Amino acid sequence: MPGTILENLSGRKLSVLVVILLSAQLACFLIGLLSPSPATSQGILSTVCVDDNPDADNINRWFTKQCKEIHLNQEKATVGLDAKNLVFVVQMPRHDILDFSRWQQNLVGVLQIDVVYQVEQKLDPIIELTLDARLAYSDKTSTGGRTPWQYYAHAEEKRYMDCSFEDTTIKDKNGYPYNCSMVPLFELGAISHDYYLLNLRLPYNYTVQKNTGLGRIEDVYLHVIHMNGGFTKIWISLKTFFFPIIIAIMVWFWNRVHILNRTPALLEYMLMGLGGTLAFLNLPVEYLTLIFDMPYMLLLSDIRQGIFYAMLLSFWLVFAGEHMLIQDNGERNTLKMYWKHLSTIVIGCLCLLIFDLCERGVQLLNPFYSIWVTPIGTNLALSFIILAGISASLYFIFLCYMIWRVFKNMSIKRSILPSMSQARRLHYEGIIYRFNFLMLVTVVCAALTVVSFILSQVAEGQNKWDENMDLELTSALHTGVYGMWNVYICAMLILYAPSHKQWSADPICAEGEEVEFSRLPTEASPNEISSLTSFASKASIE
Amino acid sequence: MCVKFQTNAIANSRDTELGRSKLRKSKEEATMRLFYYVLLGIFYTSPAGAARRQQANGTWIIPDRINELKMRYLYSFFNLQTDGADSGRHDAERPGPAPCKALPGLSPGQGRLCQLYKDHMNAVALGAKQALGECKHQFHNRRWNCSILDDVNVFGPVITIGKFSSQSELFVLPAKVAQELIPLLQSFLIPARMFGYNPWIYFINAGIAASRESAFAHALAAAGVAHSVSRSCRDGQLSSCGCSRMGRPKELKKEWVWGGCGDNLEYGYKFTQNFVDVREKERKFKRGTREQGRVLMNLHNNEAGRRAVIKQSKVTCKCHGVSGSCSLITCWQQLANFREIGDYLRDKYDGATEVRVNRRGRLQLRDPQVSIPTVYDLVYLEESPNYCVRDSVVGSLGTQGRPCNRTSPDVDGCHLLCCGRGYNTVRSTLRERCHCRFKWCCQVECKTCIRSVDVHTCK
Repeated sequence: MPGTILENLSGRKLSVLVVILLSAQLACFLIGLLSPSPATSQGILSTVCVDDNPDADNINRWFTKQCKEIHLNQEKATVGLDAKNLVFVVQMPRHDILDFSRWQQNLVGVLQIDVVYQVEQKLDPIIELTLDARLAYSDKTSTGGRTPWQYYAHAEEKRYMDCSFEDTTIKDKNGYPYNCSMVPLFELGAISHDYYLLNLRLPYNYTVQKNTGLGRIEDVYLHVIHMNGGFTKIWISLKTFFFPIIIAIMVWFWNRVHILNRTPALLEYMLMGLGGTLAFLNLPVEYLTLIFDMPYMLLLSDIRQGIFYAMLLSFWLVFAGEHMLIQDNGERNTLKMYWKHLSTIVIGCLCLLIFDLCERGVQLLNPFYSIWVTPIGTNLALSFIILAGISASLYFIFLCYMIWRVFKNMSIKRSILPSMSQARRLHYEGIIYRFNFLMLVTVVCAALTVVSFILSQVAEGQNKWDENMDLELTSALHTGVYGMWNVYICAMLILYAPSHKQWSADPICAEGEEVEFSRLPTEASPNEISSLTSFASKASIE
Repeated sequence: MCVKFQTNAIANSRDTELGRSKLRKSKEEATMRLFYYVLLGIFYTSPAGAARRQQANGTWIIPDRINELKMRYLYSFFNLQTDGADSGRHDAERPGPAPCKALPGLSPGQGRLCQLYKDHMNAVALGAKQALGECKHQFHNRRWNCSILDDVNVFGPVITIGKFSSQSELFVLPAKVAQELIPLLQSFLIPARMFGYNPWIYFINAGIAASRESAFAHALAAAGVAHSVSRSCRDGQLSSCGCSRMGRPKELKKEWVWGGCGDNLEYGYKFTQNFVDVREKERKFKRGTREQGRVLMNLHNNEAGRRAVIKQSKVTCKCHGVSGSCSLITCWQQLANFREIGDYLRDKYDGATEVRVNRRGRLQLRDPQVSIPTVYDLVYLEESPNYCVRDSVVGSLGTQGRPCNRTSPDVDGCHLLCCGRGYNTVRSTLRERCHCRFKWCCQVECKTCIRSVDVHTCK
């Protein structure tokens, strides 16, 4: 008769296991404290260059910081110039002495356009921008020089910018800044070159309404966000550490199941699946990005995370369903029973996948692409996200309902407990206790994830002005949560593995308080994973 | 007094003393003429000429109005642009770092910092200029129209005047400029000379009151430098910006890959903290004295100015996690426009707190009823003069000849601005741009409106 390790582990062993798992969890958190924040931004002020020959049709004509420079706040300097003469040049990274490293993983660019008030000028609250953006790259040569700038991407994109003018009490508004929103510009999935160069133009064309709503620009900043090498290193080492462990535990688990000479139960399949997706998530493919140019890494990691979360959510559903304490018939439970519930997950995940493919998939071809700028794209993206949201809420309703039923059944069965023999009662109480304990762990994990999510938002969003903030809370929260789900799934795999203690021996009445299992021979169906369920059916017979 | 205080400055004044004794042999007027030649020479000098005067020593204060001239000198020296003086720098070069010895008015501590951070000096100078412009904007219709900024100028009120090796460097002055300068020279240089010691100390401690205006000017100058340094940081001009420790360029790359460079606003704040405050910190006064109170006041107001830059900055965030969700979020501080910082500090000026220094050498509220000022608030030690009449000792230029608004009941109204002395009215015709339409990038289509207005000026 298969029991799970959870029920048969003595209290001392269980506590040792819990201590090991908790210390692994703590270690993950502490490692995060050592690492720098996950990503840094760098604000770069663009250099405004004059393009004397704007109609030249050469894609490899690049303007660098060493160009004919002007300052937009000097009206005299700009007299006689046309919008197409101006090129905003940004060299990344900001300092010449530094260059990008592959450890920095990806690059996100956001534009900040400082618009100032002009006498009697009215700006629309939402300005439509047309950006002609070109990206070039360059690499270090072995001799210490740089290769010439090479074309990387070019696109003319539309963006929207919200601008408001807040203080109306000022008498002399001239030169006062508008409060404008940021404009996302590009996303590079891989940093495979040492230097990047952005040449940005804001063409003006009245007939096709290009940049007609634009006011006087004083400065254009580009904020580039990249992952920190230190964080990547720690992240990859975490993955490298967990990957073999999870594989080993999976192998061990599957061996256990196979020794039993029975077909594995649904929950065991689910556990294996969960372990498999976690192993997939842990697989440190990031090492390859250090050698190869893999711009699809962003998409890949999105997909990996998506698969993992989908599996975790399905596991919870099945877990609750399999502990319903009701065995209607001796039939083997299959996934088909859960199709209603699981379809919510599938639909939600598919929606997010399609959305992600639309956004990040297209960005593989055009890093300046954004789904949010065209009305159709916005509607499409919104509808996918809303659909995903609806299925997520449906899922949670299902899940809550099932858990509620589990607890209701349990309390019913618990009321019968006093009529049982003491040894048996103690044992069953223990099972319920441990089951509840694991439910509690799940809830705590989920709650901690939510809390750390909120904390990391707050920690990032607050005005960072604390001189002795050397510890990095954000990355500690990230590694902590990541470690927590690893530990959680390891614990699940270990505790829900079939126990070998009882399957050979027939029930023997042990002395004293030592717990034994005396099961009714009739209901010894091999598909039950947990004796809790057998307990349930037994209790109903009693 | 301050024994350790600026051995350079003392040496300089000694030199001046020497020079003076020589000059005393000739007529007194000759001295005056030399100074005035020199100052004007500075004003009309080319960068090349300025470079030759590097060896200059001898210390003198310069009066308020001359400060602007000095700034021009400074900018021409740095090859920076002054307002429209040389519009559109079309050459590819950026201004190179300025040699620190040539910078007038740096305190010894600042001199050392200048050596360490040569490339920052352009930003510092620009910040000082920015502060001066903003101060003039904020106070253009008040009695005190920001006429004193020397004292808070980060370079200090001191200008270096050299012993000239040849007479050829002196310039023949246009009579008009000379007329303007002579009274200023008389009013400022002579009182300074009457004191036997370093004129600068005289200037700071007795010259300008530790008033509200001084508090504002200090804060604004600190804010200007912090703002400007942060900004040039984003320009990529400062080699070490945000990537901490200077001395290890080899490890810079490692550090950057590991944790990225820090926020440039923070960098600007910290640099300014060192650079501006060092001049107060290197002077030691007896506890509880007026001078020590002044040091504390300056330090407090400098901090308030720097904090204003941070307070006014906006935090902006970008989500870049899974599918662009906020599972990963990065935030940064967006530097505010300096005008906003100026507005903020003007509000702080209006609500500044009067304090005094107690025996233990701490600042204390003069009126226990008012609330304790925070780091963001300005403090001052003395009531302001009314700035109605010209008084070189308190640093007031008076309001005579200032344009005023006849109908305004506010400070810019003729009644208040002219201190009840009345005003003259002249009718004049104004041609201005109106009904403007802006077309990106560089065209402003305006009509010209002609209106006739009454211009009132204080008697």
